Amino acid sequence: MTFFRFKTKLYPLIAIAASLFVIVFGLVMARSEDLCWYLLGVLVWLCIFGCFQGVLKMLPAFILFGGAFAGIAYASAGGDLAAALSMLNRFAALFLGVALSMSVAAVRMTRSLSQVHTPRAVTLGMLISMSFVPMLKGEIKQVREAMKTRGAGSVFDPQILYRAFLVPFVMRLVNISDTLALSVETRGFTLGGGLYSIYKKEYPVLSDLLFILGIVAGAVLAVVL
Amino acid sequence: MDKVNHQTADVAALIENTLAMQAEIAPKQAAFEEKRKKREARDKDESKMFHRFKIKDIVFLAIITACTLVTSAIMPLLIHVPVFGIIQLGLGLQFSIFPVIGLMKVRKAGSMTVMGIFIALFLVMMFPPMALIAVCAVVVELLVFAVFRSYQSDWACVLAGTLYMPLTVPLLWLYYNVNYTVTGAENEAVTMFLGATDPWVIVGMTAAIAALCFVGSVIGMLISRELKKAGVLKK
Repeated sequence: MTFFRFKTKLYPLIAIAASLFVIVFGLVMARSEDLCWYLLGVLVWLCIFGCFQGVLKMLPAFILFGGAFAGIAYASAGGDLAAALSMLNRFAALFLGVALSMSVAAVRMTRSLSQVHTPRAVTLGMLISMSFVPMLKGEIKQVREAMKTRGAGSVFDPQILYRAFLVPFVMRLVNISDTLALSVETRGFTLGGGLYSIYKKEYPVLSDLLFILGIVAGAVLAVVL
Repeated sequence: MDKVNHQTADVAALIENTLAMQAEIAPKQAAFEEKRKKREARDKDESKMFHRFKIKDIVFLAIITACTLVTSAIMPLLIHVPVFGIIQLGLGLQFSIFPVIGLMKVRKAGSMTVMGIFIALFLVMMFPPMALIAVCAVVVELLVFAVFRSYQSDWACVLAGTLYMPLTVPLLWLYYNVNYTVTGAENEAVTMFLGATDPWVIVGMTAAIAALCFVGSVIGMLISRELKKAGVLKK
């Protein structure tokens, strides 16, 4: 591991810190007209540092919601462009922050948190919650297919929803949870002070430092200039 | 002969190394074992308010959290609608049914906080203001423990589920007021956050959110009781 190298994947904790910084700074400085230049700079900066896909995912939602609310702001402030711009700034800051944090993989985040001695319960729970989401979608689909097979009726009927969907679904969850807990325990996971090692440690490198410095320096310039 | 001697020396060095490492780690291991025994003894005592979480508790709470989040897929759309209490109204049912099921399986002090932290870790990446739900979980837990002293009663779980989501109302009210207020050329602030200034709307929406969460909590309790009767929801 060497500090002096350029990585396109950001160090997770730095990415989250930068994301929060962009959101908070954006909301505080939304009324400044220069903020949009700063946010444009952040957009380019994110693309350079490997968050291009996250930005691309967020772009349609930003155009839709940001554009709509900027339009409403423009109309409600009596045709004032500054009001529309400030609304656009807020949305841009929020979406850029979200794009940045969404570019962090769950497993890398968990590793970083483990390295900074976050309680095992938190990192383990976070990892399970994040990796369980796609599996849950499959479970929901299975329960609904079982409903169809039995001809249980529409899921929009509250009684059917309760009896034929919710109860079997929660029952399935409990069973999965028991199996998963057993599996985790047999793999040697323990809570509360047990010694453990981290496979593939995450370390901040020069590019991470450059990234966060760029974000902060841009903010300082936006305030000073 | 020379080769054999080398191998013997290597093996001896290896054994020595292992022994040295074992000796180094032994005090830590002994301390950990002692701590574990103490904890186990404390956990066996049913009269204690605080019990240590086991892996199966954390796994179940994490799965319940994932479930809450998956069924709240409507959230990304709701967060951009500046109507007072719309988020809580859209998510109230999911955020009460599943936490109550979680609490009725893991009846330990801190369960709500653990769920709150897991949800906040997700939300901080999607909608940071909502991550303050972890604070709400702590407040809920304090309130429930002030009234019931534990989660042993089913109604303690229902109370926790009912209060969880409504407590986020003031937090999001502050956020939306800041985010959706524009100041026009005449220096007059105009808010696009609908219903946030009318006290009747505030009271009505808050009551509706609380009622919805109560219904969700009762449904969660009924599901848990049913599963308990069927022998699925073991302690």
